[in-house]
Amino acid sequence: VTSAIYLQGRDLRGAALACALAAAAAATAAGVALATGQVRATTTALAVTTVVAGCTWVAGGITAWLRQPENRTGPLMTITGFVLFASALAQANRALPFTLGLVVAAWPAALVGHLVLAFPDGRLHSRAERVVIGLAYLDVVVLQVLMLMFMGFEHVNGCPCPRNLLFVRDDMGLHSLLMGTERAIGFALAVAVFVMLVRRLRSASAPMRRAIVPVASTGLLTLGLYAVSAATANSAPALSRGFGAASGAALAIIPVAFLAGLFNARLARAGVSDLLVELQRMPGPGQLREALARVLGDRSLELVYWIPETEAWVGINGQPVDPYAEPERAVTVLDRGGRRIAALVHDPALRERQELLDAVSTAAGLSLENERLQAELRAQLDELTDSRARIVEAGDRARQRLERNLHDGAQQRFVALSMALGLMESRLRSDPEGAAELLSSAREDLRQGLDELRELARGLHPAVLTERGLAAALEALTAGSPVPVTILAIPEERLPENIEATAYFVVAEALTNVARYASATRVTVDIRCDGGKLAVEVRDDGIGGAEAGAGSGLRGLADRVAAVEGRLSVKSPRGGGTTVRAEMPCA
Amino acid sequence: MRTVLIVDDHASVRAIARAALGAAFSVVGEAADGSEALVLARQLRPDVVLLDVQLPDIDGFAVAAALAADDDPPVVVMMSSRDRAQFEPSLRESRVRAFIPKERLSASALADAIA
Repeated sequence: VTSAIYLQGRDLRGAALACALAAAAAATAAGVALATGQVRATTTALAVTTVVAGCTWVAGGITAWLRQPENRTGPLMTITGFVLFASALAQANRALPFTLGLVVAAWPAALVGHLVLAFPDGRLHSRAERVVIGLAYLDVVVLQVLMLMFMGFEHVNGCPCPRNLLFVRDDMGLHSLLMGTERAIGFALAVAVFVMLVRRLRSASAPMRRAIVPVASTGLLTLGLYAVSAATANSAPALSRGFGAASGAALAIIPVAFLAGLFNARLARAGVSDLLVELQRMPGPGQLREALARVLGDRSLELVYWIPETEAWVGINGQPVDPYAEPERAVTVLDRGGRRIAALVHDPALRERQELLDAVSTAAGLSLENERLQAELRAQLDELTDSRARIVEAGDRARQRLERNLHDGAQQRFVALSMALGLMESRLRSDPEGAAELLSSAREDLRQGLDELRELARGLHPAVLTERGLAAALEALTAGSPVPVTILAIPEERLPENIEATAYFVVAEALTNVARYASATRVTVDIRCDGGKLAVEVRDDGIGGAEAGAGSGLRGLADRVAAVEGRLSVKSPRGGGTTVRAEMPCA
Repeated sequence: MRTVLIVDDHASVRAIARAALGAAFSVVGEAADGSEALVLARQLRPDVVLLDVQLPDIDGFAVAAALAADDDPPVVVMMSSRDRAQFEPSLRESRVRAFIPKERLSASALADAIA
């Protein structure tokens, strides 16, 4: 009974039509049965109410099913309708339908309990709920059959009943015990359902509460009336019949409550028109969220915006956020013209009001797009401020490194040289041989100092890049790489100076990283200028796992590329090599 | 002859300093970093410690301060290849006797500094 029935489009419409036809056939058969006197005269009224209730349940179920195909409530309601039809057979005056009707007679009670607890999405949410509903089915299915086995119907309410096919032997004591047990368990479970519902209502948000109340009240009313009717069956039969009829009437009303709760259609229309009026007043930043929260009746509603450039969600102030951070909240992504623009983080109850969500997001589309642009602008400003600070810091760090290198390298050599020259001067006369020895070591110091200076100067800016362009500079750079480099393509023409320099440093930094971390055996460099865009790609076959996190050379490189309005991406799966790719304008 | 401990992380500087001072001082030891300098200074008890400011482990001024706290401390003379101006505040606060730019280091410069 609880297995989900998922159908889509034409299949669903077909299934709905089949159900509707089956229900019509069942109702017609019931009508014919009544007209041809196949129903016991004393219970005709009961048979009619039950069939009418079955019709409202099937109709309500099909409507819910068609409107929300993914929701189990619709199929469950439809099944309940058919079970009601079957239970009406208990009023027949022939043995087989009579017995069948008796077997399923108590099933609707369990089904109603199940539906009420599973409302609004048609799923039971906790272990306790599943246990209660499981016991309810066990109770109405198994105990009912056991009870029927020990009951003769000759004396019941003076009823001229047909034969009970399950009858084993007449044992009034055992029968009463079984019936009492079935009812006691049923009553206890009804109380449990009631307690669970009250607790859910207490902790529910406003929209959830609005959706649950009509269903819970009619459901509990029906179960309550049924319980009283069952409890008074022996002591006050007339009263019991009255409560039974009232319970049947209440049962017929439940589907209406379900539909009201599920759709809230009138409310939705009113809400959207309110929103449209409100949007006319051109809400300022943040007010759109307020307006949506009000219309959707969810105060906790949050609005986040999609930034396609960085493929990230941000809040209204441009700060990064993760809409999926809280698993108990639902996320609805809003598109406009096929592009993702925003997402609502909301109470899961709103999912059951998909039409309202759709209508609201359509109505708010333009305002959402405006706010998204503002959020994007703020995110860009933040990123700009951050990257500017990082570039300044990187410059400071580079100058520090330079001072250190000069101090430890060339300066140290020249200091030693100066000391040696001073010493030589004092020994020139007294110890000419010692002085000559000092001279040759001084020369060595000078040579090494010059080498260090040259290397330092090349690291600052390769002169060949300004003089002869990217191709020549990269040839010189890759010639010195410890890992063999293959250059697949480099534009021959000269590019703007800052673009050439950025492309050069992308390759230089990437090659430095390859030599240091990648354990690669080969590297390819591919630089192409197409349609005003320069793509620089350095790919190695190393161990991967590179990260462009804070403080890494790649972060600084990304800032550098961003400064010429380009974008750097790093793909570095573990064990899958590293690809550093920069794209920047080259016209 | 007064004894000297030379502290500098560059072997070439230590070698030249040893040669330059050799005539007027007795160089009793060489240390390549601050902790070695502290050990040798306390072990050899030289008259003068010629101390480079920038050492790989402990800063030269910290070494000087540690030595100054000892009983009967040696005379400390700092040297560096950087300008004196950069160290002026540290020099004022410390009990260092003198500062000699490395390129001007000679026996007579050291003798003048501790005179």
